[in-house]
Amino acid sequence: MKEKYFDKFVIALILLLILFAFFLQISTQSSTEKLKEDEIEKSRQYASKIAQFIKQKTDGEVEKSLTFSPELQKELNEYLHTFLTKQYKYVFVLYRDIKGMYRFLLDGSQDDAEEYKTIFFPKSKRFDDVYEKQKMEIIDQSENVEQLWLSLVYPIVFKGKTKALLVLDLSEDYGKHLNSFNSPLMNVVWMMQVVLFSSIILLLWLAYKYYLLRQNLLFDKLTAAHTKIYLDEFFNNHHVDDFYALLIDLDEFKLVNQKFSYELGDKLLKVLVSTIIDCMPKSTEIIRTAGTEFFLLVPKKSGKLTNLTKGLFKTLQEKIYLFDNEVITQYVSISAIDIPKDTKSIRNIQRILDEKMLEIKNRGKNNFSILNTKSLDEIRYGNIDYIKEALDEERCICLYQPIYDLKTDKIVKFEALVRLVDKNDTSKYITPSYFMDKIRGTSQYIKMSKQVIQHVFSILKQNPEIEISINVDLTDLENMDMMKLITENLYKYRKVASRITFEILEDNEVTDYDKVQYIIQQLKIYGSKVALDDFGSGYTNYIYLIGLDIDVIKIDGSLIKSLQTSPQRATLVLKSIQTLAKELNVELVAEFVSDESIYQLVKELGIEYVQGYYLGEPRPINDYLSKI
Amino acid sequence: MQVYALERVSTLSVYEGVFSALTKRTPIYVYTKDKEYQDVFKYSKKIILTQRLEKADIAFITQKSTLEEVLKEMKKNKKLKILKLFVSKYRLLKYSDEVLGASYWRKGRSQLLFIKSRLEKHFIKLPKTYHNFTVDEL
Repeated sequence: MKEKYFDKFVIALILLLILFAFFLQISTQSSTEKLKEDEIEKSRQYASKIAQFIKQKTDGEVEKSLTFSPELQKELNEYLHTFLTKQYKYVFVLYRDIKGMYRFLLDGSQDDAEEYKTIFFPKSKRFDDVYEKQKMEIIDQSENVEQLWLSLVYPIVFKGKTKALLVLDLSEDYGKHLNSFNSPLMNVVWMMQVVLFSSIILLLWLAYKYYLLRQNLLFDKLTAAHTKIYLDEFFNNHHVDDFYALLIDLDEFKLVNQKFSYELGDKLLKVLVSTIIDCMPKSTEIIRTAGTEFFLLVPKKSGKLTNLTKGLFKTLQEKIYLFDNEVITQYVSISAIDIPKDTKSIRNIQRILDEKMLEIKNRGKNNFSILNTKSLDEIRYGNIDYIKEALDEERCICLYQPIYDLKTDKIVKFEALVRLVDKNDTSKYITPSYFMDKIRGTSQYIKMSKQVIQHVFSILKQNPEIEISINVDLTDLENMDMMKLITENLYKYRKVASRITFEILEDNEVTDYDKVQYIIQQLKIYGSKVALDDFGSGYTNYIYLIGLDIDVIKIDGSLIKSLQTSPQRATLVLKSIQTLAKELNVELVAEFVSDESIYQLVKELGIEYVQGYYLGEPRPINDYLSKI
Repeated sequence: MQVYALERVSTLSVYEGVFSALTKRTPIYVYTKDKEYQDVFKYSKKIILTQRLEKADIAFITQKSTLEEVLKEMKKNKKLKILKLFVSKYRLLKYSDEVLGASYWRKGRSQLLFIKSRLEKHFIKLPKTYHNFTVDEL
């Protein structure tokens, strides 16, 4: 059972048990009442029989007959005596004299029998009622009585006139006996109620303890801001995209601790938090994510992010802290973001803000930055789940950028460039800068490479007239799985393998040339070519040309761009590369030909092959097939 | 078994009411030989127990022998004529015309009875609350 339903289940169970206990109590009580009612009804029937018998014996004239016949008195007293049991304490017959006083006519008791016509009650309204209404009444004996539970006062009526009253007293012991009839069950019910009540008290106590524990976990003791744990809980109950997120980091805070004291540093943090509370909208959530780092969540309805961030930065920048005659200025850096719609995880937001914060710190701190759309794309497309989903749904494709032969002005080759297709907008292609670093070295990277290689080979197979180059990182080629994937496909598509070029890019300096040469040999086993990408930048240097069997040199874009900024020097460098390529019998490709002027300069230099947005941007292969 | 079925406070309250109805004097000097009732009356603020009939306003009697003794004393001593007798049994009420009233238990019920003619002899007019317990004769 899910944890969140468990609490509700326990509460529902206890409520059910409470209801059951009450139901049991009410049932038991009503069962006891029913028992009593049955007993009273039985007594009423006895009273009716006795009254009938007395009427019969006295011909209806009770008082007259008894006055004139002591024998009859005796007989009837003995008759009444037979009814005296544990159940009936007293049975007697009363007569109302002309003054309205009730006097004994008959008495079933033997030991303390009352004399004939002794006064019982001088006056009694209740007895009068029975006398007048001629209707039996049950008197619950509670006050000024001894050993009695209740009395049945039954009118002896003859020819429409009340002649006497028969009183049947039920003993207190019998009442107790009836009450205790269900007492074992009642005891169980009481015990249940005690246990349930104790359970509720225990639950309340535990709930209180849980509340205290939560408070400790969710609130930072020093600043009273929330803790990191709260962040997760907050987003379980709120939509992330309803908020702005701001990350505040205190610049050089350790100096405060060092110069003044840790105690003073703590005081500063407290004041800082209250300053933030004062200057931000009321519903702002403040979370202390690290010692000197605070994460703010501000509802979007509170205003514009730019205004809020600027206002907060200005307030904190101008804030002067005064403690024990010490004047302290504490600068802060803030990175802020308008959390984009459909953002599911706050972790990515935190990561992006962290990265932005690092950027601010590197730029000299004491500043703020609000993340733009590109950064938002980074969040969306940099989400590993998003990438995984794209690969699972095979939304990984290749776009192709044409490489032209300047002499013939025709397309001779294409460079395959990997893209992910946006989930919501299939016309939008996501470039590797968003996701490549996130998956490099993972199984997702292999998965993506597999899809790219298979895609490229199937294009080559379908179009026998074209050549395609694909980018591989030398580090990838050193990976066994990756190399296995490439060589297996080279073998599988060996008939078209000669029309593929592997553009090798190296981020690290090569130390083991024999190993790299071995890898290149493996790539070229079915006639594939190997190109050296970004030649002239980073580690990709002349030394490669000495140690490795290279077919193509792709000149680094920065060198091509410099034809516009430093034409003379750039021309000299490019000419030297051109000469070198010619001597080594290596093809030369100029990349990043982005406009006509560069195109003309490259053409004048006589570089054989060109590639760039001016000649054709990366597009689906079908867009170029007609131009071949 | 205690002679009074009600608990002490209630019993005392009943008797204080009855005795106050029988005499206007305060405190009320009560003569009784009954130990158990003595134990009840000693807690009263209105009642003062006395061993001497001459000093008593009311003689509260629970035994026939005591009643006989008191009646004998009353005959001897004319000063005792104003002494009001109150008993705890119906038969004692019946026994002598000098007894003004009784409080007793009958058929498990607490009962109170005053004889009107006897009260009149002592010029006693009971409060309204006791009218239902007053009879002309037994």
